[in-house]
Amino acid sequence: MKVSKLTPYKIRKRIAIALLLVLLIALPLMLSNKPYIMNVFILIFYTSTMSMAWNLLGGMTGQNSLGHAAYMGLGAYVAALFVTKAGMNPWLSMLLSMLIVGGLAGVIFYPCFLLKGPYFTLVSIAFGETIRQFVINWDFAGKATGISLPFGAESFAEFRFMGKAPYYYIGLAMIIGVYLVMRKISRSKFGFALRTIREDEDVASAIGIKPMRYKVYALIVSSMIAAMVGSFYAYYNRYIDPDLMLQSYSVEFVLPAIVGGAAFVEGPLVGGAILITLSEFLRNEFGAILPGINLILYAVVLLVVIRFRPVGLLGWFSTSKLKNFLETKVLKKSEADEEI
Amino acid sequence: MEIFLQACVNGLLIGGFYSLMGMGQNIIFGVMKIINFCHGEMLMIGMYLTFVFNSYFGLDPYLSIPLVVVIMFALGALIQHTLITPSLGTKSFTNLLFLTVGLGMLFQNLALVIFSPNYRTITTSYSSKTLSFGPVTMSLPKMISFIGLIIVTVALFWFLKYTPTGKKIRAVSQNPIGAEVVGINTKRIYIITYGLGCALAGIAGALLTLFYMVYPMVGASFSFKALIVVVVGGFGSIQGAFFAGIFLGLLETLSSLIVGPTYRDLTVFVTFIVILVVRQVIKLRRR
Repeated sequence: MKVSKLTPYKIRKRIAIALLLVLLIALPLMLSNKPYIMNVFILIFYTSTMSMAWNLLGGMTGQNSLGHAAYMGLGAYVAALFVTKAGMNPWLSMLLSMLIVGGLAGVIFYPCFLLKGPYFTLVSIAFGETIRQFVINWDFAGKATGISLPFGAESFAEFRFMGKAPYYYIGLAMIIGVYLVMRKISRSKFGFALRTIREDEDVASAIGIKPMRYKVYALIVSSMIAAMVGSFYAYYNRYIDPDLMLQSYSVEFVLPAIVGGAAFVEGPLVGGAILITLSEFLRNEFGAILPGINLILYAVVLLVVIRFRPVGLLGWFSTSKLKNFLETKVLKKSEADEEI
Repeated sequence: MEIFLQACVNGLLIGGFYSLMGMGQNIIFGVMKIINFCHGEMLMIGMYLTFVFNSYFGLDPYLSIPLVVVIMFALGALIQHTLITPSLGTKSFTNLLFLTVGLGMLFQNLALVIFSPNYRTITTSYSSKTLSFGPVTMSLPKMISFIGLIIVTVALFWFLKYTPTGKKIRAVSQNPIGAEVVGINTKRIYIITYGLGCALAGIAGALLTLFYMVYPMVGASFSFKALIVVVVGGFGSIQGAFFAGIFLGLLETLSSLIVGPTYRDLTVFVTFIVILVVRQVIKLRRR
């Protein structure tokens, strides 16, 4: 096993990351009287997490699903139903919801992986819409009116808090946890198998990677994360309805990954932070007079990135002079570091 | 029995629109191998253009069709030239997919900003007249639109089959490299194709305006239905798209008659998934 030595450059890089983390952890203390900004952060956390979930299937495996909002919605519904109808503990419901949605997605969606390219994208949309229509017609789940979760006293066990700060920390833990899992997957044998499938399925099966099996594994992991985010969303908003599964939301979850760079694990994080900050700012400033202005911005950013930087912002950054400057001047990376 | 016949006629009419949308989508897919996710938004733009011509200039919706066609063709050509053709070079299916998704989002929200989310309708002197054929009654605008659909469909078949440009489009969709070798300017064919696809969606929009409400999200459901039509009819097959459109329209109206209107979309999507998967399984078995 190769042991990588800690060079001064690596230490500085880690200090920079640690500083960022400390800043993120300290932020609620500074913003405790600004719930709106806290809300934007929570939005960034769960949208980026959803985007990472999509990225596992879309960016890494090359299966462009446009139905991820349905997994998130289904996760939210399963968790909310367990809490309201069975009176179960929300944390346990979240876990059960992840298992159920992951299992369901794996079983129902299995035959759809026979389809490739555009066919797969279409069937994923149809699948998402089917789930939405099913929920709209489902009496037990409140049909189109949706489900309200009970309000009550603040309690950690009941996943119910007065302020935004606890949700912020749970969201932060969620995004960091999912990021670490994604990074692990990306560097593991599983991640390389997925990327091989993306590049060429025939090559993959020739060298002993079963494309069907790996695609289903990727889908299960991806839909489990989506279900977790969905449960979080349900507990945070305390109200869910079938509109949560609209296909337009699926698109909103994909955009951070595409804008940030779908080939990178960090892509959705960068894209999510940039897009949602901009979009919420616009919604806040102009939303009252020009509804939809934030989505116009989404679309324009997307078109500009695809047209001029097809590899995404991170792809562009990794070959730009800015990165070189940051590494050599700010973090003082030396020639010797490269060789280790 | 009368309700059944009436439902069949309505199904044929809405199916005609799906066919027209699907055929436009299919030409674009055949030539460039991209899914145009903003096809429904093109229909929406066509509807709004008709609406604006009617309410601000007093132009009859059916007479505004030529203008709509010209504007939509120009818009499509512009999009193709500035956005899609350069991105075709990257060969990334994901990027091309989200390029059209982004365009759809842009148009939808531009319409929202310009026209507000209100539902709008057009009324003309003849919009409440009805014609009856035995047990079936049909409003006059629907009848005119139906005839319009038939004319456009026939004209499209004729155009692709006999005109030089139509032949070039078919050549490029069969083999782009071969077409370039024999001297066809493929970039120009791309522009014509995308413009034509947008113009067809625009015509569908103009024909739809008289008996359908205009609002920014109107394209979303048509967009996906057009895709269903293309997939069920077979990518690249114009005749397939035509029949699949009619089939989809009939399936929709008849399923809302038989299993109830709230289950209509559910039936359509489940049928779609089943057709896709079963066909793929059959294809794999044959190999």
